[in-house]
Amino acid sequence: MRCQICKKKVATVHLTDLVADGEKRELHLCEECAQEKGVALKAQETTVADILSAILSSSQLAKQRSEFAKVSCPACGISYSDFLSSGRLGCGNDYNVFDKALTPFLEKVQGSSRHTGKVPSRVGEDVVKTNELVRLRQELRQAVEKEQYERAAQVRDRIQALERKGYADK
Amino acid sequence: MQINDLLENTGEWLKGQGEDADIVISSRARLARNLVQFPFISRATQAQRRRLEELLRDTITTACADANLSYFPLAEASALDSRVLMERHLISRELAEGKGPRGVAISPDETISVMVNEEDHLRMQAIHSGLDLKNTWEEISGIDNALEAHLNYAFSPKLGYLTACPTNVGTGLRVSVMLHLPGMVITKQIEKAFEAVTKMNLAVRGLYGEGTQAHGDFYQISNQITLGRSEEELLESVGAVVPALVTYERMARQTLLKENRPTVEDRVFRSLGVLQNARIISSQEVLLHLSSLRMGINLGLISEIKPEVVNELFILAQPAHLQKLEGRELGEHGRDIARAGFMRRQLGMN
Repeated sequence: MRCQICKKKVATVHLTDLVADGEKRELHLCEECAQEKGVALKAQETTVADILSAILSSSQLAKQRSEFAKVSCPACGISYSDFLSSGRLGCGNDYNVFDKALTPFLEKVQGSSRHTGKVPSRVGEDVVKTNELVRLRQELRQAVEKEQYERAAQVRDRIQALERKGYADK
Repeated sequence: MQINDLLENTGEWLKGQGEDADIVISSRARLARNLVQFPFISRATQAQRRRLEELLRDTITTACADANLSYFPLAEASALDSRVLMERHLISRELAEGKGPRGVAISPDETISVMVNEEDHLRMQAIHSGLDLKNTWEEISGIDNALEAHLNYAFSPKLGYLTACPTNVGTGLRVSVMLHLPGMVITKQIEKAFEAVTKMNLAVRGLYGEGTQAHGDFYQISNQITLGRSEEELLESVGAVVPALVTYERMARQTLLKENRPTVEDRVFRSLGVLQNARIISSQEVLLHLSSLRMGINLGLISEIKPEVVNELFILAQPAHLQKLEGRELGEHGRDIARAGFMRRQLGMN
């Protein structure tokens, strides 16, 4: 069947529209004309669950998959398969419970599994300093990679000053 | 304050003031936070959600007294009222269409809104006109500090603020800038520009955020990553691409004018003609013409209409606002007629 708009290419998109009074209208379009008319299905957005399943099936974690399936959070009761299908966690404790699956996920999606930002003041100054140390070490590595030795030296001095105050990396 | 009182004014972010406000509509910063003693919303019982709402409503109104926030419980609000808040960018679609105990606290000028019981226990945002990421962030961080003094957030030293979706964990911060880019759309540069933006770990979305199409040539640029970077680095990553996009958009508009002035003028004045004369108009079509009109005003082709009037019309043309302005509920066809009449009156015709 030919596309009803350009009348050249083969129609691959078939639509049934409900027009007024329950009347049906059929449309047969090629991919290009369908996109032009804005009716073609766009590629679905990848969801958290998609990425998690991909990571699990492709990595060495595949072996542990059946073990994961048995894990559930004692605090909120969510099972690993609940999390996998919804992509949403049930409580803060799940980050510990599903740690083995979440760490590779975070590294892939977020590019990191280590927070370096704001900290609630009641959590304490040592976390703030620890985070700053992590951030400075990243900065030092980048500076060395880019051969910015002057900047690297400044960052190194700041790291040493912090370390002297007794804030070791945790 | 009632939801109807909001309709008397326009949110501060639509005023069209601030840096590059002809192209940068608004700057927004949003934080996601949860309380350590409750499960996340999807696993919380009705009773827990009720307790959360009570606790958070009281804390928000007392701890942020300076911000003068008014709390709107949404469980008892009408669908139309919820939709008004959504169209004004004060709440998300998820909160508007959700069920059970939930709500939002809003400042009188609509620069601050704090959603309760959305996907996370707290979703707070600050929004300002033009390019102003630093102040926007500082404002919402201040609200966060005020709340944190009274609440125990779910926080891990390693992973930061814990959120229901692992794509928000860490800072819980989403910074976004809304841009009006008709010139780049007409000159077909938009796709290429967004490919580059996406490669920088930034997301591009439409007028109403996640999963929405870009209507009226509006695009939101926001950070994809929330973990492993400081808040300042995230602001910087979004802020850094904006000047380039503003420059490209200005260049695209000037090129269009220089190479084909009659075509640009024709487009702008045809849109004005449609808006001043149509008898039936859909919200989709209105956005298209308002976008051309807005560009025409910014290019100096039209001087008798103020930019902030057009900014406001983008919101007032939406279905729920229209029904509020008309004072009654309308079906789609009725809205399209009312919308056309409203546009004619706003743009000086009868």
